[in-house]
Amino acid sequence: MTLLEARGISVAYGGLVALGGVDFAIEERQVIALLGPNGSGKTTLFDVLSGLRRPAAGDVWLRGECVTGLPPWQLARRGVGRTFQIPEPFGALTVRDNVLVGVTFQARQPRTRAARLREVERLLTIVGLTGRAGAAAATLSLGERKRLELALSLSGRPALLLLDELASGLSPKGREEVVRFYARLRADGLTIVAVEHSFAVLAEVADRVLVLDRGTLVADGPPAAVLDSPTLRTAYLGEEE
Amino acid sequence: MKLAAALLVLAALPLLGLPAYYLYLFSMAYLFATLATAWNLLAYGGLVSFGQAAFFGLGAYGAALASLHGASPWLAITLGAALAAAGGAAVGLAAGRLNGAALALATLATAELLRGVALNWTALTGGGSGLVGIPPVPSLPAIPLELGGGRVGAYHLSLATLGAALTLSAAVVRSRAGLALAALREGETRGTLLGLRPLPWKVLAFSLSGVATGLAGAVYAHMLGAVEPDVVFGRLFSIAPLVMATLGGRSLPGPAAAAVTFYLVSELVFHPLAPALHQLPYALALIAVALVLPASRRMP
Repeated sequence: MTLLEARGISVAYGGLVALGGVDFAIEERQVIALLGPNGSGKTTLFDVLSGLRRPAAGDVWLRGECVTGLPPWQLARRGVGRTFQIPEPFGALTVRDNVLVGVTFQARQPRTRAARLREVERLLTIVGLTGRAGAAAATLSLGERKRLELALSLSGRPALLLLDELASGLSPKGREEVVRFYARLRADGLTIVAVEHSFAVLAEVADRVLVLDRGTLVADGPPAAVLDSPTLRTAYLGEEE
Repeated sequence: MKLAAALLVLAALPLLGLPAYYLYLFSMAYLFATLATAWNLLAYGGLVSFGQAAFFGLGAYGAALASLHGASPWLAITLGAALAAAGGAAVGLAAGRLNGAALALATLATAELLRGVALNWTALTGGGSGLVGIPPVPSLPAIPLELGGGRVGAYHLSLATLGAALTLSAAVVRSRAGLALAALREGETRGTLLGLRPLPWKVLAFSLSGVATGLAGAVYAHMLGAVEPDVVFGRLFSIAPLVMATLGGRSLPGPAAAAVTFYLVSELVFHPLAPALHQLPYALALIAVALVLPASRRMP
């Protein structure tokens, strides 16, 4: 079943076209890798899909409902979770309270505080942060912040997860963990759109690869086909074919 | 518990037979402490107000008008606080679209706008000369009126107002609302992506801050027996809570303690020494706050 459909999404910053009519559809339980050089529009696309930016033209459909222009909190309650490339948790709050925010204000959450705290513990266990639950988020290392960011994005029990460069800046061991993580999320029934620059990570986890270049979708297919194609090299390196 | 004990000790103070003037000074200190506590409740949600006088004046004028139209002081004070809560809710609705400096300026403009209305709607508000003849608050029956020259009732009422504001703040911080406000302060965008809808919490924060500030204004009107637009909607009641709360830090009793100390030192030490300069501490503290504010992360 189709979970998400983008139809002709266009965004411009002043005269600069960030997205020029992007179309795609995503089936449930797929892991989609979103590739493209810096400035190709990946983060802008995430902003549109998570409700932070209203497209100048085009529509976003989630489970057959047009959700274009809905504010982020409504999209979050409809099951869209998101991480940021540079995680910015609620710095002065503890790790536990950070996740408690997501567990408290999303849709379909436990009613009692005790049950919400149990859900927080469950999420912290998944990302391996139980030992840091009482620490202020501002004191976390980059790796720990990425784990917290992931716990936050999972706190609403999302159907669609938008992950922005989860593996970047991590050690090879951290990357292996990320790969295992993607596999686990997919097994749990999530649909994932992930921006990743590590082809090694992508080749292992992605069902499908989308390539953006200067705001346009230039490739769409299984990883083996797309990662070897000249289109990708052109997008990244600017080579002429 | 510590808070309740401290309030009980302070409640017994009039039994020492303090002169009426001192009871008045303490009452004013408690009202300022209430304002600082109410300001801090907004700051807890990352909301910076430069216009708390709007709520103080609404409370004062609401209570004064109700009293002068025959309501008992208790009902009048309740109505004044309710009017300020409604004003707070209205500002909170605007806060749904404004943040940081823009919100601070909007609150300042609200107070100035209401001052203009009070100055010019003479038929209702008495214009620039204000309203007089507001009945005083009755004393507790157990404490004879002459003990504090008729100031004991207002003393206890202003202390009770402070107690209510502190209790309210403590309850908010421990509740879901507290979690929502802390999240909005630390990162509104991240919060909205977690399903947190900012608007209702901002309206709630401004309503609660408004009701506490308006309660203080209503008590003030009955304590002084008169209200004037340039006083109750004046800049002192906007700037002083901001200065006092910022000096008092982010803890719950900090702003209240700072307000009491600051007001009493200003009135008892600076005023006798240099009457012309007794507002200098406010100016110096405001400059200090302006320098410290960005670092203290109060601004979102």
